[in-house]
Amino acid sequence: MEKFLEFKDVTYFYQTKEHEIHALNNVSFEIDELQFASIVGPSGCGKTTILSLTAGLLEATSGQINLQGKPIAKNDPRIGYMFQRDHLFEWRTIWQNIMLGLEVQKKNKDPKKIALAEELLKKYDLYGFKNKKPRTLSGGMRQRVALIRTLVLEPNLLLLDEPFSALDFQTRLKVCDDVYDIIKKEKKTALLVTHDISEAISLSDRIVILSYRPATVKEVVDLDLSGSTPLAKREDKDFGKHFEMIWRNLTNEKETTQSIKSP
Amino acid sequence: MKKKQHNLSKAHEKYLKRLRKDKIIVIFWQITLFVLFLGLWELLAATGAIDPFFFSSPSRIATTLADLAVNGNLFLHIWTSLYETIIGFVIAIVLGVAIAIMLWWSEKLRRIMEPYLIILNSLPKIALGPMIIFWVGSGTSATVVMCVLICLVITIISMLNAFISCDQDKMLLMKSMRANKWQILTKLVLPSALPEFISVLKINVGMAWVGTVMGEYLSSKAGLGYLINYGSQMLKLDVVMTSIALLCLLAAGMYGLVSLLERRQQK
Repeated sequence: MEKFLEFKDVTYFYQTKEHEIHALNNVSFEIDELQFASIVGPSGCGKTTILSLTAGLLEATSGQINLQGKPIAKNDPRIGYMFQRDHLFEWRTIWQNIMLGLEVQKKNKDPKKIALAEELLKKYDLYGFKNKKPRTLSGGMRQRVALIRTLVLEPNLLLLDEPFSALDFQTRLKVCDDVYDIIKKEKKTALLVTHDISEAISLSDRIVILSYRPATVKEVVDLDLSGSTPLAKREDKDFGKHFEMIWRNLTNEKETTQSIKSP
Repeated sequence: MKKKQHNLSKAHEKYLKRLRKDKIIVIFWQITLFVLFLGLWELLAATGAIDPFFFSSPSRIATTLADLAVNGNLFLHIWTSLYETIIGFVIAIVLGVAIAIMLWWSEKLRRIMEPYLIILNSLPKIALGPMIIFWVGSGTSATVVMCVLICLVITIISMLNAFISCDQDKMLLMKSMRANKWQILTKLVLPSALPEFISVLKINVGMAWVGTVMGEYLSSKAGLGYLINYGSQMLKLDVVMTSIALLCLLAAGMYGLVSLLERRQQK
């Protein structure tokens, strides 16, 4: 299979007034096309930094990040980003929220894009709320709107930064299934950052385990659990085995301050 | 609306009824307190418990109001103060928001200007009064400048704070969509600062009237501030009290308009 996303020896330092923080150290991994991959690691290890680098919001100190064989550019249009919270603009209607990215890119008059936005709204049961304000929607519906807002831009790679973390447990399981279903139906490649091991196992075809800061790749695990939805995958007999292995990997990690260099 | 209410459950109807009742009670007491205040004031003045020469009375204010209206000067004074306040208010808001945008746009400029803003904010603007008359002349222009000076700095500081505290994750979202700075400003920063803008308008309604009265005190030939000054110098304290009452009404009217705008924005 083609290397869809490739991290090659990526190193990143954050600069602050007081310190230089070594966030990533020679991080290398690959994701294939149409794969749903997750990054797990200890809190503060640099998971979100990996997403920001992939989105072109940050520039790697050294190393290379390629998407479909080409280096990532600043604010790369091939990337769609979904955040921890839905970040819907409360003063805009659902339709206006979905059209936000297209407006920014001056594509909001394109009939094909409008048709795609309408189709996605209908397909995922949100068309009736088109002219409503976000406050009238449930947490799960809001996350679906946020995903559609990203999908109408037709990105090649979707970056998901703990998109379920702000939801309660029950809603979280439901939204997890919804988002997985949408991503698979729309044939997208996704890279998820999460601190929830169960979530990562139930959603992913591949899991990249990171060490504590400066993060390095400890292990890459390929999964093939039975079940058509993340919830169903939790019933697989190997689920517990994978959970234990990843859990052990993460709990062996010890927090250090070696990554912080004072001038 | 009536049709909708037919479908309400009894408990909901009861709840709505209680809300309506509460509202009526609040309005009733607001009016009652006002009437009681006027009645007590009139009574104290009539019985000689307070000297009506110094404290005036509602009936004396009404007579003065009628006298001023018959002389034809009342509306000139009201109109002069009103348009000076509105012009000063509008200039301060437009200029203040524009400067706040410039300071949000350039962090370096913001850091350079910070100490100047702090000094200007703490300076009692009335101290500039005599200078303003020398710079722009007396009358309306001096009053408008005083009004602008009083409202401007607070507008800049409040709006700048609102712009800076805009959600950083939403900014990141806009950047991930490849938005430029102008798009971030118009589609995110300005709309999300709207509640702060409304509260700046509310604060400035009061501040603008302070500026106008101060400006008219300093140099003017018309306006409610002029009337207050004239009344106090001529010991016509009924004129002073009448002007204060009119100022209350006008400021409340302007505040009401801003509240209307706020309710429309919240819909």
